[in-house]
Amino acid sequence: MQLVDCDVHHGGPSKDQFVEHLEEPYRSEVAERGLRVLRSGSRFEDGGNRWDASASSPKAVREQLLDRYGHQYALLTGSYGPIAGIPDPEYAAAICRAYNAYTAEHWLTADSRYLMAIKVPMQDSQFAAAEIERWAGHPQVKAVSFWGGAERIPFGQRYYWPIYEAACRHQLPIHVHPATTATIASGATSAAGQVTNYLQMHVCLPQFYQAHLISLVLEGVFERFPELRFAFVEGGFGWVPHVVWRMDKEYKGLRQQAPVLRRLPSEYVRDHVKLTTQPIEEPHKARHLIELIDMMGGPEMLMYASDFPHWDFDPPNVLPKRLGEDALKRIHYTNAMEFFGLDSSRLGAVNQGGF
Amino acid sequence: MAWVEVATIDECPPGRVHMVDLGGREVGIFNEEGKYYAVLNHCPHKGAPICRGRVVGRVVCDAEQRVTYDHEAKTLRCPWHHWEFDLESGKALVPISERIKVFPVMVRDGMVLIHT
Repeated sequence: MQLVDCDVHHGGPSKDQFVEHLEEPYRSEVAERGLRVLRSGSRFEDGGNRWDASASSPKAVREQLLDRYGHQYALLTGSYGPIAGIPDPEYAAAICRAYNAYTAEHWLTADSRYLMAIKVPMQDSQFAAAEIERWAGHPQVKAVSFWGGAERIPFGQRYYWPIYEAACRHQLPIHVHPATTATIASGATSAAGQVTNYLQMHVCLPQFYQAHLISLVLEGVFERFPELRFAFVEGGFGWVPHVVWRMDKEYKGLRQQAPVLRRLPSEYVRDHVKLTTQPIEEPHKARHLIELIDMMGGPEMLMYASDFPHWDFDPPNVLPKRLGEDALKRIHYTNAMEFFGLDSSRLGAVNQGGF
Repeated sequence: MAWVEVATIDECPPGRVHMVDLGGREVGIFNEEGKYYAVLNHCPHKGAPICRGRVVGRVVCDAEQRVTYDHEAKTLRCPWHHWEFDLESGKALVPISERIKVFPVMVRDGMVLIHT
């Protein structure tokens, strides 16, 4: 079995590790007063991590995940989502720099199967582009990490274009992950406003992805940046057929509000977007999942993610066997290898495990 | 297949549509700044009477993603769902295969003729 995992939440850094990697004046600030705090106000401890797992060290993740399931690669996505909601861009940029330095130093060096998605400060697109330049070219840096919630500005708009220019310059796709805590800072934990708890917030996450995807496609971002690719992580995929069909239908009447487009919206989604499997939809009838995958464009659209060690972790065997071997291989492995431009020359060398 | 006289030019004033019956088929004759167009009164999307729509220009975008408005490219928009079709070719402005039926038009001796 070959496996690429698009969402592994590595632990740390500790306060001391942040301090070690931070620049002044934030090094002194964090050393004296700790990290700036953003709390959701929702009780999410019933979620949080699996109670039998820990991602505290490269060794812990290697033993519990990589060696157990036979990962060829694991994309590290970290755990510091609140930074996306901190209003100060200078501070956010410093935190992202320190976070990336920590990941590179403590994790990428520990195992060549670990890959990094560059954390960027969403608060300032110039700072974000600079952080991409800092890491591009590192052999284990394979994506740019976006936190995707209720942002100040949807992802299709001009504000983000410096980031997309940098990402395309280095052939790095954008990896969008929810930041449930940060969404509180934007005044909305759902498209309808503030919901009362983590359960509702987590169910509503795809609403943000729908809005960001609609913005990206209908602003013509993929015409402006033909090399740009997006992965939407942990937001499900059952919504994709609906949104794509609706975009195509309404574009036909309102084309003049999306004049940059040269193709139907669905074609941009097919060519530029992937979604990850976790937390996989669990319909009452298993065949509906297979039909859903067919409706969204087939197994080419999907990449496996475990979300280890979070409470809604999916092992690789959650996908229905009835999809067939070819489709399963695409979702578990081939799509991500192609999407992130990964090296397949050492296949089999590290595969110790199985499902 | 032949040229058929369907109206006098006086029946087709500029900026208006004049409906004619063509063997049971409704056809709209449009006069846009002295140029005549003939369109079957049927939208390929949901069968709307498309000749009740509006003739406008169109928003266009060049290779550098500069957006402007082309007043010359005559566009018929359906009154129901506002789909846009090129009056000259009948093609939709979005990349789909549906198109409106347009007929060649000529003016001779004060008469409007269409080719069926």
